[in-house]
Amino acid sequence: MSVFSYKQGELISEVFNRWNVEYLFIGKSGAIFYGFPDVPQGVEIFSAQSPENGRKLISALLELGYELTAENERELIAGKDFVQLRGGPFDLDLVFAPDGIETFAEARSRSHVIDGKFPVANLDDIIMSKKLANRPKDRESLPRLEAFRDYLRSRNLTALPTTPSKS
Amino acid sequence: MNSTLDQQQEWEREFDAAAKRSLRERMEYSFIYTYKPVLDDAKYRSFETMKEYREWCRKNLPEYLGYW
Repeated sequence: MSVFSYKQGELISEVFNRWNVEYLFIGKSGAIFYGFPDVPQGVEIFSAQSPENGRKLISALLELGYELTAENERELIAGKDFVQLRGGPFDLDLVFAPDGIETFAEARSRSHVIDGKFPVANLDDIIMSKKLANRPKDRESLPRLEAFRDYLRSRNLTALPTTPSKS
Repeated sequence: MNSTLDQQQEWEREFDAAAKRSLRERMEYSFIYTYKPVLDDAKYRSFETMKEYREWCRKNLPEYLGYW
């Protein structure tokens, strides 16, 4: 297993797009794409919950190198709210029903594509989901994450520049 | 001094510093591997509902990980 990197993000984007997986980066790892300087505990992806998307997701995950049993595949097609994958190229959490988000379509309508290739849930959705999850690790990071959201807003930015000028 | 104001100013400095880095650099600095006991010990886990996941965390994970 390797640490998640920009290159790994590109790989997810490339493979998920090839299989037409409906997905968004979410959680603190999603906030990193907006420029939030922090250390997430892993990569979290919000995937649309449907048998069709489940099948596409399985194809993409197998191509990325995750090992799935027949039972795992059945579950991904039938639909679970949360799946943890370890043992692949990087640790991945798949969330199909994030707290506070009614549907994938709604979240996608509010999402942003960062750097032309990374679909990421709206920062407000990430914040709301963390507020509702209300775990100690969420409570610890929320004030700083909200300050970051306000920092972007005060500068009329969706995200920090992906390639800042060197001036 | 107001510690909250100090904290806000410190965060703003951190955000300013992040703004000077590319997304690629920011990602290299952010994603570091830290082994999380129990959580990382199975290749696959699934939960029917988020409630079921949270209950599993409470029953199985050490408190210091911050999942409960």
